[in-house]
Amino acid sequence: MKLRVYAIAYLIFLYAPIILLPIFAFNDATIIAFPLSGFTTEWFAELTQNRALHAAVQNSLIIAVCTAVFATILGLCAARAGAMSDFPGKKGITGFIMLPLVLPEIIVAVALLVILRQVLGLSLGNWTIIMAHVLICTPFSIAILNGAFGALDPSMEEAALDLGESRWSAFRLVTLPLVMPGIISSMLISFTISLDEFIIAFFLTGSNPTMPVYIWGLLRFPKSLPVIMALGTILVALSVILLTIAEIFRRRGVRRAGGTDTGGFL
Amino acid sequence: MTDLIKLRGVDKYYGDYHALRDINLTIRAGEFFSLLGPSGCGKTTLLRVIAGFEGVSGGTVMISDKDMADVPPNQRPTNMVFQSYAIFPHLSVGENVAFGLRKSGLNKADKASAVEEALSMVGLAGYGKRAAHALSGGQRQRVALARALILKPKVLLLDEPLSALDKKMREHMQVELIRLQRAVGITFILVTHDQEEALVMSDRIAVMFAGEIGQLDDPETLYRRPNSRRVAEFIGKMNFLPGRVTATGDTITLDIAGFGVTDVPAVQAPEGATLGEAAIGIRPETLAILFDGEKASRHEAAAVVDEVVYYGDMTYYDVRVNNVPEPLTIAMKNMIGRPVLDVGAQTRIAWDERAIVVF
Ligand SMILES: Nc1ncnc2c1ncn2[C@@H]1O[C@H](COP(=O)(O)OP(=O)(O)OP(=O)(O)O)[C@@H](O)[C@H]1O
Ligand SMILES: [Mg+2]
Repeated sequence: MKLRVYAIAYLIFLYAPIILLPIFAFNDATIIAFPLSGFTTEWFAELTQNRALHAAVQNSLIIAVCTAVFATILGLCAARAGAMSDFPGKKGITGFIMLPLVLPEIIVAVALLVILRQVLGLSLGNWTIIMAHVLICTPFSIAILNGAFGALDPSMEEAALDLGESRWSAFRLVTLPLVMPGIISSMLISFTISLDEFIIAFFLTGSNPTMPVYIWGLLRFPKSLPVIMALGTILVALSVILLTIAEIFRRRGVRRAGGTDTGGFL
Repeated sequence: MTDLIKLRGVDKYYGDYHALRDINLTIRAGEFFSLLGPSGCGKTTLLRVIAGFEGVSGGTVMISDKDMADVPPNQRPTNMVFQSYAIFPHLSVGENVAFGLRKSGLNKADKASAVEEALSMVGLAGYGKRAAHALSGGQRQRVALARALILKPKVLLLDEPLSALDKKMREHMQVELIRLQRAVGITFILVTHDQEEALVMSDRIAVMFAGEIGQLDDPETLYRRPNSRRVAEFIGKMNFLPGRVTATGDTITLDIAGFGVTDVPAVQAPEGATLGEAAIGIRPETLAILFDGEKASRHEAAAVVDEVVYYGDMTYYDVRVNNVPEPLTIAMKNMIGRPVLDVGAQTRIAWDERAIVVF
């Protein structure tokens, strides 16, 4: 009984702020407070008018797509090397690759900023954010793809080789389709992480802010709070949808490769 | 028969581990050859060396008198049926079977008829459209066979293809495989740790222990004249009695504990006989319990039944004979009018010096 009370309290604590988002996004008042005063879609309409916001969203999308692609390619190489061949120092290297998973983002951001600006003297732009996002997304990609490769019977690729295919076409014709659900899942998760990421983007952004950075800028104007609520509602919905799709693909991948599920991120 | 595969002094190391030790082996075209041995003795490794998935650390592998050192697996005239079958789950049965034909240059219609032919060869005619992941174990195994055989390899390598099947299915597939091998005339190399399977199916069997070949012979020779005690112990069951060799030459004179003195020809000591202590091997089915009034054609000894194991068609008795330290196992066929003895029963047993092997 007691335990149930705790569980419910915990769930409220966890999800109340998120539930408040759509409530106030449709509330007809500029002040974020109860009681609610009426239903409106005005804030959503305002979103469609905002040029600066559109530019920020576009930036974020470019960064997120590039990050998803690069992180997944790197993850694919690492997971494949880990699954197929044994080489000296494999354990140590794997550990190092996974390190950014637990590294505080602020440290990564500051370190990158120092190196890019002070040491290399480069100017900041979308590509610097992409690089940093690839760094933090690759471990997730590896973890997902390790699962996909781990469930794969190593004799699959050998069988293709045995039937006359070259190493590359054996990989392309057999391994790749079997880990494809993992690849899609990895891309979706990297995309979501990059789209929502604030700290690194805040430090490394050039003249064009990303969407989270733009939202942070809006917070200075109390009047625009409901608009942010509307935007937040859309983002939460999008994240939930993308992560759900990613999880569906990840599970399908493990099943297709014939393995048993050992748990993912969701 | 011409020689197809020759291995000369093949060594294989995994790091420090010596997995294959100086393997010399000749496999003839068209034969059904088995690699038999306990788990971890290197059967799979040897098969993968022949297929080209593992390089050798020393020695040469020749197929049709061509050195295979620089030939990758996709260019060797071998095809493999993997232990897990490795059926591609994202393709249909037909696409699986047709996989090896991608580079063949056949047109669509020819490919389709080749696939249908291969599928009907393994008893799966009309299964082409099925999804591969929905097949039973036995069906997967057949698809793997069809997929390998469609390329008409010189050698088909099979890594414990029947071990995942239940007993009935396994026995059925043993017969099917023999029939298939005779029909296609392709050399089969079968890896198995099941001695019965090897005896039933093979023209010749190589028995491996710890990376070495212990004996290479046809099934009957292997069973009747094992060349060492470890082969004798691995293939079938054998009783061992302590004994002494008291004279050597063309005939060997033996003094066997509990059985007495007898002469055997020198061929019954495959390792050669030296004066002094020897182990005398006798198979359970070459001994017999003598029931009321029966007489031994050669020799007999008194015994007490120590254990009875009833198998339906057979009864296995463990009996104690005076001066023999271990109980002897005797296999008796159950026949009409022949009783099953009880533990503790006094009886006589018959033995034949022609059936013994001296180690
Ligand atoms: N890739 C490898 N790296 C290191 N050692 C290996 C490797 N492959 C096999 N071995 C070792 O070589 C030995 C022989 O292995 P192999 O797989 O050939 O045995 P096997 O006779 O097929 O056994 P089983 O009947 O269990 O399949 C084993 O001790 C195994 O641990
Ligand atoms: Mg094996």
